[in-house]
Amino acid sequence: MRYELINWKAIFIFLLIITFALFFFFPFYFMVSSSFKQPLDSSIYPPLIVDFKPTLKNYFTIFKKYPMVTYFFNSFIVAFFATLISMVLAIPASYGMERLISKNRERVAYMFLTMQLIPPISMVFALFWFASWLGLLGTYWLLVIGYTLWNVPYAIWLTRGFFNTVPIELEEAAFVDGATRLWVLRKIVIPLTKPGIIAATIFIFIGAWNEFTLAFFLTDTSTRTYPTTLGLFVTHQGILWGPMFATATLGVIPIVFIALLIRKHFVSALTLGAVKG
Amino acid sequence: MNKTKVYSENSKRGFAPFFENKEYLFYIGPAFIVTFILMFLPLCQIIIGSLHKWEFGKPLFESSFVGLKNYLELNYGYVSFGKSLKLTAIYGFGSLIIELCLGLLVAVLLTNLRRARGLFSAIFIIPIVIMPAMVGLTWKMYLSYDGLVNWVLSLFFIPKVNWMGSDLALVSLILVDVWQWTPFFILILFAGLQTLPKDPVDAIRVDGANAFQAFYYIKLPLLTPLIIIVCILRIMEIIRNFDIVFAIYQGGPGSATETLPIAVWRMFMSQRQVGMGSAFSFILIILSFFIALVFINFLKKTRVTH
Repeated sequence: MRYELINWKAIFIFLLIITFALFFFFPFYFMVSSSFKQPLDSSIYPPLIVDFKPTLKNYFTIFKKYPMVTYFFNSFIVAFFATLISMVLAIPASYGMERLISKNRERVAYMFLTMQLIPPISMVFALFWFASWLGLLGTYWLLVIGYTLWNVPYAIWLTRGFFNTVPIELEEAAFVDGATRLWVLRKIVIPLTKPGIIAATIFIFIGAWNEFTLAFFLTDTSTRTYPTTLGLFVTHQGILWGPMFATATLGVIPIVFIALLIRKHFVSALTLGAVKG
Repeated sequence: MNKTKVYSENSKRGFAPFFENKEYLFYIGPAFIVTFILMFLPLCQIIIGSLHKWEFGKPLFESSFVGLKNYLELNYGYVSFGKSLKLTAIYGFGSLIIELCLGLLVAVLLTNLRRARGLFSAIFIIPIVIMPAMVGLTWKMYLSYDGLVNWVLSLFFIPKVNWMGSDLALVSLILVDVWQWTPFFILILFAGLQTLPKDPVDAIRVDGANAFQAFYYIKLPLLTPLIIIVCILRIMEIIRNFDIVFAIYQGGPGSATETLPIAVWRMFMSQRQVGMGSAFSFILIILSFFIALVFINFLKKTRVTH
């Protein structure tokens, strides 16, 4: 195949890919660049692509007018604790499933998976009822619990594949030396699967950070998370595009950065471990 | 695995405490309790609520029991389940087909590329990780009459189109979905294409087939399991997709983009029918379970053959 590839064909393929890449990259570029334009310049026609003078006005606006730091902090706290609790629950569960259940392992795994597949929107109102009954409304705990519900099964499925790669002989050797299973998990299995576990953790964090449906219905003004701030910019005078783009950029850039760091694990995580990347 | 068996045999011979064989409970128990108990109670509430004519703000015990009436009617006011199901199906299959074709095309192109693969796959990761709510809101601007989409079209001398109108709202929803999730197909199919065995392709090329024939007769059949997995994963995401639709249209204009999750939300919040809304929710859950079942069966089959 390689010998038939004439040069112009390669160039054609390259141009085609660049076109597609532009299609996927340009809206992102426009979002980031618009956040540095003058507030009114971000929605003029024809749009300014490169010929604008960058300014930080929009960023000053969002930090002055809105408690953005609080929202950022809320999002971080909720996503952090949801991720932490999910991983603490999921790692032993997934390890126990792989090593201690032999006959019904797949059945148990799929049972967890079905829980993850419940659409959040269909549970959110019932969760709201229970939260108001338990007095959890307006607390961080409510969202943390909500995210944990959906993320534990996801984390179990993500980490399953990693534990399979640890050679069983290594664990047996430790058992022969009198180690307990918990010690083996902590001192052998987790260190060996560290890259995978870190990637899975980051994945769950990204998911919790981006989550909108639960956050929108289960928070009040003080516990509002970052993605739900979009309503702030829809005013009677129209949508404030400049500050909106600044908010979006601020919420998205760290996530894009982290995601690019772990991009090796991306494919496997997107398919619940069904495909190795 | 061996270790477990040896371990349990030993404990049977000795005076093993009961829970030694049930050691897995210690590991799986906490996760199990958290997910199942906490999911189970709201689920019960949805099922019980769906059997009542229950309105927002009233307690459950004051509302009348109507049996399966909610499930038989499945509409209230202007919100109807059938219409939403139709819209969801159009939105789902429309975006799925475009995403699959485009994703396959770009994935194949990427395998033909000799350098800068990493750069391009990095670019394709970006749309996937942007928070959907922000995707929705930014695209609301791009799709507006003086927005980016119309500007790009004008570069090709195509007149401006009202993307937010009721006839094109669903189409533009598909466009946004295609933008965000085609990279998902690209990345997975690209990974899949690289794991394919080389020998059959080389064999058919030696026999005189061209690149397209090699792709169509050899690579595509080998890739089919993966394609089906990606499609089912995507469908499951589409039927629960609330945030993008909510951020751009809130189901409007009128009910042009009233997909199933939006219908659930409207039934609760604007129609204030908790009973009917619970019925909608429950059917949505059943629907996703059904799709998941197909996925799981398929996954089991492919795992066995691999």
